[in-house]
Amino acid sequence: MTVEEQEFLYELVQNPPPGSKIEAAKNYGVDLTLNLRRLALTPTERSLEMERALELVYEMRRTWAQINK
Amino acid sequence: MTVLATNYQAALKVLSDAEVHFVIIGMYAAAVQGSAQMTADLDIYYERTPQNLKRLAKALAPYHPVLRGAPKGLPFVLDETTLSRGMNFTLETDLGDIDLIGDLSALGQFHEVAADSVCLPLFGGSYRVASLDAVIRSKRAAGRPKDLNSLPELEALRDLNNLRAKVKKKL
Repeated sequence: MTVEEQEFLYELVQNPPPGSKIEAAKNYGVDLTLNLRRLALTPTERSLEMERALELVYEMRRTWAQINK
Repeated sequence: MTVLATNYQAALKVLSDAEVHFVIIGMYAAAVQGSAQMTADLDIYYERTPQNLKRLAKALAPYHPVLRGAPKGLPFVLDETTLSRGMNFTLETDLGDIDLIGDLSALGQFHEVAADSVCLPLFGGSYRVASLDAVIRSKRAAGRPKDLNSLPELEALRDLNNLRAKVKKKL
């Protein structure tokens, strides 16, 4: 993603057009800056990032299960 | 069987190498298009032709597929006959959790889903991924609280992607 595209999307997220889905999501509590960061990645990088986060969740579950044995 | 997480790269390669006709749907489709929501499984919409059922069964058979959540020891063989007698299967495999969807009324027939998909580069290959529009339609139709909760982000993401494409053209 180019710097210009990033700046454009950042501005949209910070000041969404009234009545837009972007504004609705923001009001719903969605942190769209997370999406901006993911959009800057390739699809493969997005997948790997999600998998890493999932692994962390599984690791925490394993640890929790061991503690409670 | 202890599966910790779905190995998306391996699962997609197995299906691709076997020349299975499928479209990636569900939250993994959204994730590779920029959604920040996580999913632990791979949902694929598969074409229900006899040849494709054979390819799909053959591709997954070595990875010990069983029905997810079914009692241990419940007989299950994933082959062409099983696939032809059922429609949607939620599987646990050595590659992780894989859901095989043969029919989803919100998305239409396989050829409609394929037509409403985008080709994305993933792990060195190219895969058909349901458009965000299609994912949104399926989530809305599913109507469960978790599906409806995902909609605001998905709709905003679709608009961000569309607006980004417009800006890209102008630049």
